Amino acid sequence: MASVLHFRTTLPNFTYRRPSSLNELLQLKAELGGEASLLAGGTDLLVDMRSGIRRPKVVVDVKGINELHLLEHTRDRGLVVGASVTLGELGRNELVRFKYPVLYGAIRKLADPSLRERATLAGNIANASPAADSVPPLLVYGAKLELASLRGRRQVPLREFFTGVKKTVMREDEVITKIIIPEPPEGSEGEYFKAVRTSEDLAVVGIAALFANKTEPRERIVRLGFASVAPTPLYMDSVEELFRRDAPINELIKEAIKLVLKEVNPITDVRATKEYRLHLVKYVTAYLLRKYLG
Amino acid sequence: MRSYKYVGKPIPRQDVSKVFGDAIYAYDVKLPGMLYAKLVGSRYAHARIKGIDLSGALRVPGVVRVFAGDDFPFKVGLYAADRDVLARGKTLYYGQPVAGIVAETLQAAEEAAELIEVDYEPLKPVLTIEEALSPDAPIIHEEMSKYRHASFVYPKPGTNIANYLKLRKGDVSEGFRKADVVVEGVYREPLISHAYLENWVGTARVFHDGTVEIWSSHQSPFAVRHLLAASLGLPEGKVIVHHTFTGGGFGGKAGLLLEHIPVLFSMRLGGRPVRLELNREENFFFMAQRAGYLFRMRTGATKEGKLVAHYGEYYLDAGAYADYTVNIGRSVGFVPTGPYEIPNIHVDSVTVYTNKVPTTAFRGFGMQEMHFAFEQQMDKLAQELGIDALELRLRNAIVPGKSYLPTQVRVREDAGDPAGTMKRAAELIRLGKEIKKPKEPWKFRGVGMASFWKGPVQPSNAASSAIVKVNEDGSIDVLVGTGEMGQGTINALAQIVAEELGIPVEKVRVSPARSTDSVAYTWQTVGSRGLFSEGQALLRAIDDLKNQAKEIASLVFRVFRDEVEVSEGKACVKGKPWECITLAEMALGYTLPNGRAIHGPLIGRGSHVPSQTTYLDPETGKGEPKPFMTFGTGAVEVEVDLLTMRVKVLKAVTVLDTPVINPGLALGQVYGGAVMGISITLNEELKVDPEGRLLNPNFTDYKVARAEDIPDEMVAEFLGVGQKNAPYGAKGIGELTMIPWPAAIANAIHNAIGVRINELPITPDKLLQAVMRQRPELLEALEKELLEAS
Ligand SMILES: Cc1cc2nc3c(=O)[nH]c(=O)nc-3n(C[C@H](O)[C@H](O)[C@H](O)COP(=O)(O)OP(=O)(O)OC[C@H]3O[C@@H](n4cnc5c(N)ncnc54)[C@H](O)[C@@H]3O)c2cc1C
Repeated sequence: MASVLHFRTTLPNFTYRRPSSLNELLQLKAELGGEASLLAGGTDLLVDMRSGIRRPKVVVDVKGINELHLLEHTRDRGLVVGASVTLGELGRNELVRFKYPVLYGAIRKLADPSLRERATLAGNIANASPAADSVPPLLVYGAKLELASLRGRRQVPLREFFTGVKKTVMREDEVITKIIIPEPPEGSEGEYFKAVRTSEDLAVVGIAALFANKTEPRERIVRLGFASVAPTPLYMDSVEELFRRDAPINELIKEAIKLVLKEVNPITDVRATKEYRLHLVKYVTAYLLRKYLG
Repeated sequence: MRSYKYVGKPIPRQDVSKVFGDAIYAYDVKLPGMLYAKLVGSRYAHARIKGIDLSGALRVPGVVRVFAGDDFPFKVGLYAADRDVLARGKTLYYGQPVAGIVAETLQAAEEAAELIEVDYEPLKPVLTIEEALSPDAPIIHEEMSKYRHASFVYPKPGTNIANYLKLRKGDVSEGFRKADVVVEGVYREPLISHAYLENWVGTARVFHDGTVEIWSSHQSPFAVRHLLAASLGLPEGKVIVHHTFTGGGFGGKAGLLLEHIPVLFSMRLGGRPVRLELNREENFFFMAQRAGYLFRMRTGATKEGKLVAHYGEYYLDAGAYADYTVNIGRSVGFVPTGPYEIPNIHVDSVTVYTNKVPTTAFRGFGMQEMHFAFEQQMDKLAQELGIDALELRLRNAIVPGKSYLPTQVRVREDAGDPAGTMKRAAELIRLGKEIKKPKEPWKFRGVGMASFWKGPVQPSNAASSAIVKVNEDGSIDVLVGTGEMGQGTINALAQIVAEELGIPVEKVRVSPARSTDSVAYTWQTVGSRGLFSEGQALLRAIDDLKNQAKEIASLVFRVFRDEVEVSEGKACVKGKPWECITLAEMALGYTLPNGRAIHGPLIGRGSHVPSQTTYLDPETGKGEPKPFMTFGTGAVEVEVDLLTMRVKVLKAVTVLDTPVINPGLALGQVYGGAVMGISITLNEELKVDPEGRLLNPNFTDYKVARAEDIPDEMVAEFLGVGQKNAPYGAKGIGELTMIPWPAAIANAIHNAIGVRINELPITPDKLLQAVMRQRPELLEALEKELLEAS
């Protein structure tokens, strides 16, 4: 650690590359690995470079690759979002709005309109912050990522993607090419609840809740995803299972809250205390369950 | 208020357009051959500097010089010269500048920054007021006795006390004997930031004859000039300070900021221009912030609801430098209560040093903080006495001409209308009336009010002046020294000129850009004094100008001077509207039919200095501290959501007693002040860890209200009760508009859920704690509602 505090205005030197094909991108990644950082909107990367947290030798802009601008929907695959698609585009998309209301809600609460015109969904995921707003909704919709390298392509469920704060299963030569969000359950509804300090904020706690087939226990779908309550965004498998039981809703809700409180592990930091985060997790989750099931 | 053509009208700003990008800020000033300076900060809040190695930094290509503390073996400052240029011997706060690099480019300077090595011996940091005052506290300023202090500052060398002020009125023990009810309270506010949009920047150069010239982001060009001169041992005549548009100040750019740094660096580099521009993080560390506060209060009233005694121990946490904050300690000591007459008052106001970021003036100069405490005392008294909150205030409100200030002088007859503001604000917020209940059972609404008063805290002789020039086309240029930082005083001054001379306001220019060598002097742009002080000087300058016009007309038309009147931009013989000369015709003097010229260019000049203010007695505080006080009341309706523990201000009401010159700009101040006050109440706090490290030097975690956080409904009224010597009766309002919110919101929260919050900011965390302690049954109800109900 340097023995003085200093805060940069300028960025340190780096080489800027803008490949025009995916193959070129993958080649660069294969050559440079961790020395090259991908630049999508740059709203995380540039912040980290200015503060000195990251110091890539090469910055590789992905916005010149046509394939990554893909945004399409098919009945069998669901919504496919290329890695360069911005949150602004998604937030204006009618299909996202009506088919994926939980994701839509999260996007509309992420940062502010001007920032969303730069920031991408892939960047929000790849950055692997526990506070990433798009992630809890993507978890409840069962999203998958397509990762690519010169070695080939693979699909990873988002629920298996994060391994720690800012850590993922992505290898040094891999990039996210697309996010695949399956067709949501028939008749599903829900919302993203974001607790904030002012109208524009990182999530103090974020809760995504998705519901379908509420009255038919065995078919019932209750999915909860959380931000800012643990080192990674959390998906609650146990809750989904619990609600398949045929028991009075009130009891299930009480039981669900117990499960949730057992799985979350929030910390006290500059944004909020652990105690307050637990208050939110407990009561807001109960409120959402009651609102949609009660 | 009488009706005028320009005064009292919401005339849009006439000066340079910001929207079209015409405005020039200090940041825009770049000089040929300019070098860039960069400061690096201490890693410890309190440490001895055992060694510093600059060699690595010096090797970076493009680096010209690297300076450290010993290069500048003197202190700078305003009221208490306690600031090192760069830390010498000891570091006093985390982030304190320890070295300065000067390079050909900013990037080179930034590359060099990481290579500076400092060897520290950590000392125990002093981080709270209580720690600072404990008998075995480490002494932060070991050489305080050698510092230069203003005559009215009373430091205690050998302790951490930067200033100690006493206020004594009547006999407080006698007062408490008469009290039937006494309420006590401890109130706190943390250090906060001004969070102005424009980070500080300054570009300086030194001429071969030693004249210093600087462009910087500041509020008060003449104060910068004087303090630069005093700190660096230069005559004022050799210092030129250029004022551009300033992107917000809120007190944080009053006095001397960092101007001395680029000036000193330039001096050591043969006068080459040097620029120091701060980024946001640097601005949190290198610029002064606002002090923290601790108030212990005891207030007594009779059962009839008459205030009889007030006892207070007030403490300001000034951080590492108390330079300006010592004067705020005086301010809250001299006006230690809300706008009420209390016969017996005993207050000690103590400004203490800690190892935190240095502090300075902040909009309200201590009055927001003091009223946060006192106006809650009022509500507590009202509750104990079973008297309505408005009624208790009315029974004790200052009565102009009758009541005595805490500093024992009588309140002037035309001081304003405190009671009027209380009644109107209570009416507008529907105090005591039924409140609509939200449909969610965990949401609660309440209303609360807070009354307040404030005037400028300034030297008794704080002066101002104005010059009015007429151009060939009959347009007017006004030269005044007040700074423009968004408040729009210059627009109001233009309206006054237009009104007085009867010319279109478009023909009056009060340029926002000014230099100390070419405009008229004013002491500072602070304390909501601009319009009041500059306005009086300007009215005299206009009178002077009119007299000159009358003189010319009297010679031309061969009449006595007092037979001439000036209106509609002309000097005419009274009753003979055909015998007129326009201002344009005599702008450069008047040429008679035979070619002989008289008088020369018209130029009016006016000066103003307050005549009533005096020094204050050091033992009791007795004296007249202020040229005016503006009175007002704020009131809010809030909604408390126990699910999220967030408080939302639904409606904010402001009532001020004064008339205003421009109601449009005045509303701008009211809205801005309310949003700022609400933001401070609910979010803002500079957080430090147990080692004294600032945790949120950025807007990611130093949360400031945004557009969507503005209350749905904001209402403002000006009662139009003017002070006779004020320009068109108008007193200052800039700071006043943000004073009542913390107190009003705290009172409204109590009204909503019966929970009292004595400490800002009222974050969800804090509200949760308070509810758990004071009304646990509310949480039980929430539990039942959400987890047990069927
Ligand atoms: C003012 C502000 C407010 C913000 N508010 C929020 C908020 O409310 N909620 C929230 O969740 N976030 C917020 N953020 C964070 C940020 O905006 C989001 O995480 C955003 O989605 C990042 O996208 P980007 O395209 O800008 O990513 P970039 O900064 O370009 O990239 C982010 C990271 O992902 C990597 N990366 C980018 N593309 C790929 C790829 N295709 N494959 C692999 N790795 C890749 C980059 O190398 C980098 O490490 C905020 C940021 C700022 C500056």
